[in-house]
Amino acid sequence: MSLPKRIIKETERLVADPAPGITATPHDDNLRYFDVTIQGPDGSPFQNGVFRLELFLPEEYPMAPPKVRFLTKIYHPNIDKLGRICLDILKDKWSPALQIRTVLLSIQALLSAPNPDDPLATDVAKHYKENEKDAQRVSREWTEKYASA
Amino acid sequence: MAKVPRNFRLLEELEKGEKGIGDGSCSYGLEDGDDIMMSHWNGTIIGPGHTVHENRIYSLKITCGENYPDAPPTIQFISRVNLPFVSQVDGKVDPSKLPVLAHWNRNHSIETVLVEIRREMASFNNRKLPQPPEGSTFS
Repeated sequence: MSLPKRIIKETERLVADPAPGITATPHDDNLRYFDVTIQGPDGSPFQNGVFRLELFLPEEYPMAPPKVRFLTKIYHPNIDKLGRICLDILKDKWSPALQIRTVLLSIQALLSAPNPDDPLATDVAKHYKENEKDAQRVSREWTEKYASA
Repeated sequence: MAKVPRNFRLLEELEKGEKGIGDGSCSYGLEDGDDIMMSHWNGTIIGPGHTVHENRIYSLKITCGENYPDAPPTIQFISRVNLPFVSQVDGKVDPSKLPVLAHWNRNHSIETVLVEIRREMASFNNRKLPQPPEGSTFS
């Protein structure tokens, strides 16, 4: 079972030249399956947090998007209790021109810019819309509780 | 073929279960929506028609360990039922007596286990077995 050249290239570059604040390491026994960490962006309620994620490249990749979810609990309107992420490029806006790197950078950007108008976690989105300051306080608390390095 | 890792496989199963499978005679879902490792599931089987199980609703617990789906889930009936592969002490399913578990492969799923158990309920040997009172539970 050989790995497509594109995946090998992407993996090599991820390891040799990682994006700032992001690591992605393939599992030895499944080179399509990555352990990922993303640092919470400065200036966001997730600052100083290190979030663990998992990423899988399905058989159809790059014609189909990677599958990604958070393993670290996070209080964010576009990420649900099971760590599933609501992000257009992981769904209908996927393009084979995108890469693992761009996906992870987009997720990092989502942490800086929550979008409560397209929620996955409806209770968190409601909180963000009604009282953003208080919602950010909870996000900071969760970051400290679950994502401290 | 790409080998789908445990967690992404269970996410697929969860989404399928939430949409509802088949005619609704078997269903399943996470016991706790916060269970990020997706280990503990509830299942329901509606007893097959024209058998002693007809119209009965059976509840089960399904546990997917860290080696799922390379290893089968463990199954335990909550509702009392008399079947040769179910312990009459605690409702645990003996995997060696249920072919879908004994001959497990990673293409099987929570759904296939429930469907197979329901098929066993309707089998010639099991369809007329005397049953405990409806609604009673192992405890």
